[in-house]
Amino acid sequence: MLRRAVLILIFFTIFFQVQAQKYTLSGFVKDSANGETINNAFISIKNNKTTAVSNNYGFFSFTIEKGKYEISIAAGGFNQSDLTIELDKNKQITIVLLPESETIQEVNIRAKKNDNVKKIDISTQTISGKTIKKIPAFLGEADVIKSVQLLPGVTTVGEGASGFNVRGGAIDQNLVLMDEAPVFNSAHLFGFFSIFNPDAVKDVQLIKGGIPANYGGRLSSVLEVLTRDGNKKQFQANGGVGTIFSRLTLEGPIVKNKASFMVSGRRSYVDILAKPLLNEGLKDSRFYFYDLTTKLNYNYNAMNTFFVSSYIGDDIFYAANAFGVKWGNTTLTARWNHIFNKKLFSNFTYYYSRYRYNLEFGSNDASFNWYSYIINNSVKGDLKYYLSPKVEIGTGVQSTYYNFIPGNATSITNGESRSFSLPDKYGMENAAYVTSDINSTGKFSVRAGLRLSQFLYLGKGNYYTFKDPLVGQRKIVTSTSVAENNEVIANYFNWEPRLGFKYAVNKSASIKGGYNRMVQNLHLISNTAASVPFDVWTPSTNNIKPEIADQLTIGYFKNFSGKNNDYEASVETYYKALQNQIDYIDGANLLLNRYLEGELFSGKGRSYGLELYLKKNTGKLTGWISYTLSRSERQVTGISNGNWYPNRFDRLNNLYIVAQYKHSDKWEFAANFVFSSGTPTTFYSGQYNVQGYTIPDAGNNTRNNVRNPNYHRLDLSATYNVKKTKNWESSWVFSVYNAYNRRNPFSIYFSTNYGNLGQNKAIQFSVIGGFIPAIAYNFKWR
Amino acid sequence: MKAIKQISFILFAMLTLGSCEDIIKVDVTQSQVKLVIDAFVNNLDTVQKIRLTKSINYFDSSNTEPPVTDATVIIADSATLKVFPFVYTTNGNYEWKPNKNTGDTFTVGHTYALLVITKEDTLLSFSHMNPTITMFDSLRTVPTEGNGPPQIRPGKFVELFAKDLTGPGNYYWIKTFRNDSFYNEVQKLNISQDMGNGSPQQDGGLFIYPKRFSGINKFQRPYFDGDKVRVEVHSINQLCYFWFSLVVNENRNSGLFATPPVNIPNYCFYSVSFTNPSNPFSFKIKDPKNPPPIGGFFCVSEVRTAEIGIKM
Repeated sequence: MLRRAVLILIFFTIFFQVQAQKYTLSGFVKDSANGETINNAFISIKNNKTTAVSNNYGFFSFTIEKGKYEISIAAGGFNQSDLTIELDKNKQITIVLLPESETIQEVNIRAKKNDNVKKIDISTQTISGKTIKKIPAFLGEADVIKSVQLLPGVTTVGEGASGFNVRGGAIDQNLVLMDEAPVFNSAHLFGFFSIFNPDAVKDVQLIKGGIPANYGGRLSSVLEVLTRDGNKKQFQANGGVGTIFSRLTLEGPIVKNKASFMVSGRRSYVDILAKPLLNEGLKDSRFYFYDLTTKLNYNYNAMNTFFVSSYIGDDIFYAANAFGVKWGNTTLTARWNHIFNKKLFSNFTYYYSRYRYNLEFGSNDASFNWYSYIINNSVKGDLKYYLSPKVEIGTGVQSTYYNFIPGNATSITNGESRSFSLPDKYGMENAAYVTSDINSTGKFSVRAGLRLSQFLYLGKGNYYTFKDPLVGQRKIVTSTSVAENNEVIANYFNWEPRLGFKYAVNKSASIKGGYNRMVQNLHLISNTAASVPFDVWTPSTNNIKPEIADQLTIGYFKNFSGKNNDYEASVETYYKALQNQIDYIDGANLLLNRYLEGELFSGKGRSYGLELYLKKNTGKLTGWISYTLSRSERQVTGISNGNWYPNRFDRLNNLYIVAQYKHSDKWEFAANFVFSSGTPTTFYSGQYNVQGYTIPDAGNNTRNNVRNPNYHRLDLSATYNVKKTKNWESSWVFSVYNAYNRRNPFSIYFSTNYGNLGQNKAIQFSVIGGFIPAIAYNFKWR
Repeated sequence: MKAIKQISFILFAMLTLGSCEDIIKVDVTQSQVKLVIDAFVNNLDTVQKIRLTKSINYFDSSNTEPPVTDATVIIADSATLKVFPFVYTTNGNYEWKPNKNTGDTFTVGHTYALLVITKEDTLLSFSHMNPTITMFDSLRTVPTEGNGPPQIRPGKFVELFAKDLTGPGNYYWIKTFRNDSFYNEVQKLNISQDMGNGSPQQDGGLFIYPKRFSGINKFQRPYFDGDKVRVEVHSINQLCYFWFSLVVNENRNSGLFATPPVNIPNYCFYSVSFTNPSNPFSFKIKDPKNPPPIGGFFCVSEVRTAEIGIKM
């Protein structure tokens, strides 16, 4: 079956090669202001109706018949550019686009026109760094993840909860990539802010369905965060002083037009402001978070470009003599773009990514200290072959080595130290893929791909076998075996077919569909309503099977106007079936437990939904409306009598409205509105007393049988742009979060009065109790 | 390790000064009324009590559980076949007074059967009586300064210096009494597997930090001059330890990092029928895979006590 699929793929590839005299036009698309490459630019050839899209590195390539062509290049946020090219030999060019003029006239931009209709990508949304900065945000801090949470199909468990849920998937089912390196926890301060500094972000792309074969490792989505290269033409500084953070970004050329750098940092300063107010005992307390994003790039010649980027960030909370916690990510990515020839683009990447947390409590003579890490090192190579305007072939390999330190804990009492650490775990993930985009000149385009993934659970270490217990009970260890260094304990192979198609109904409408199978071998072990930074990542093992998801999605995409095709609209529907979803026995002990696997069991999941999206790209008023109708459910033997029950992140109705209005050069206004149905929860119904302790009782209730109240919120912001001078631009941002002062319940929880029977309370917990105003000042110097 | 979730929550609460909690009215119907058997007995020479009640609605504030008054409650020693009948007194309590002279007392190493016969059902449970630790001069005081958060009125904290029995698989319930009143906060429910968490390295030594300290003291109210502190260490078994763990977990289970509420399972009461009515050991379990919905636990403990008077 599989071999046949591969053969068909190759056949098509050859079939679409045409025999005439042909030349290749290739090159890069760049921003005229700062030399930054532009991804997702549309390069269209007017007289033969073919289109290419620049990749994440700004590269594009066409191979077409000899001739004279009119080419138009368009990209979001830039003025369209038109060229005439005499293609009588292979040519490599650099196309420079002018940033969209800041003044608001009825500008004749065809920027991004129809790309949602023309591109084969389904269930994919891109938000630019510029847009992110315009969306009103919590405490005035523009935020990448908070912006993503306004897209259709994306929900969150609640305010301040870390991560996001895509099409009914868990938060660990999102592959969050920052310059190709995966990030394991994208949250500062639990989830109030994300770790991505918007000043350093070029754009963000979320893929929810029809995921191409070059991505793998998570079930639900890919969130790709691309950082900016840094201004190649002149030195500049951007920054801001906000209510929570201060930000500063420095960037500039190292060698003009060839090499540039960017250093972007943020630090919160509540602790500095609070210091004089703290009493003697708390003087040594520290609580802050910071991040530092850096990037270097070097355009060695037309064929070779090098990039090195890194991220370091931590959240640190330390109260003298009581407790201290710290968590954060570190990533390092080194990339080499090499153009073998005008048709063959390649990228080679090495990355290192680490997430760690550290926790200590106790006092001078008695303390408890614990840390946990997940570290991975990866190499990968991707090739893209632009065979003809109709056929593009991508292929690549990747290998990643994982080291898990699930818990290294020491307790010290009266100088007597005891360790009760868990042994390290090791794993290796290998993948190879091939994918091909076939754009016929007719109405039909296809993307077919196949990914082969392998996961090895490696020694050294102990591994266990368990006896299947009574339904819903803890599993019992039946044997312990010892594995040597690099001995393979478990080996999982999985084929992941990917398919996408597009049928062009007419110039401004298309029907697109996609199927993807995704496999996930890293699992975040968490059974709490909102994930905590101290949740542990574990690999697939001999007892934990890889999670698998099959998703089918289909959608109708339509653009309409106004004069200039101002509106993008889409309707998408999806169905996702999930296998080997991890669930937990009642009262599971998930931390520092060497027999953790005995506390888990696995079940099935399914989610399905409908997403409507309407976006206005041009004019004074821009923004989008997104509505999602969705369900996410699970079925696990031993929970809810084996019936399907709603996932804790199941939300039926979700309406998001994002609007920006440019009133004048001085004033800009923005608003967003969020409505989401309440998350499901389980209530106690009874109580009794044993040995003076009140014990709550859920009776014969089923899991998640009650709903929390609905969530809705309006945020507003106004930006005042101070008059520009030659070197200095600045603006004031005034914002109000939760403008109509609603106490949105995060959860209703039951507070059992342990001492006295009959004094229990139901408490509605709201993370934000009122409206929150904020002011920020932003500047740019060059 | 629930401490970690708690710390997370405290941190979270600290950082979200804007957060708020509103007490709201929720209507729940009690989906199941359970028989509750509170049967913790020990080898102390005092009146032993077993309490039988029915569970009530979660929001019932009448503070009275309906007592079960007409049950038959008997404990039998499987080694000696001696029978200790518990007699109903009041408020759901069934009582029995041990007598050392006649040998009517609980003995370490013996297994005991508890038989409860109600109108609806005949229930049987077993408990093996494990040994507890030795206590000798085990309580010491430390000043509050430098051992916790700053206090408005400095006082003393008490630490338990006692050694776990050698060998893995010893379980304890450490109960603290301040001036004879029991600290019945679930947050302070202090149970220990061996000297701490039961990992192989944690055996046979002094109780580790949270066990020796946290369950015995309240940071918000240290001990002062004249206070009397009594600490009892009850031996329990593994199932009882798990059961208590779930009780602690459920009672702390709230807020942002809550796990789905679950029932504290019935780990030890079986619905049985007797083949020989005069012998409590000749029984047949009716449905071994499906234990009846009963709240509570049966545990026979050995108890050792240490006491200290606080002097400033």
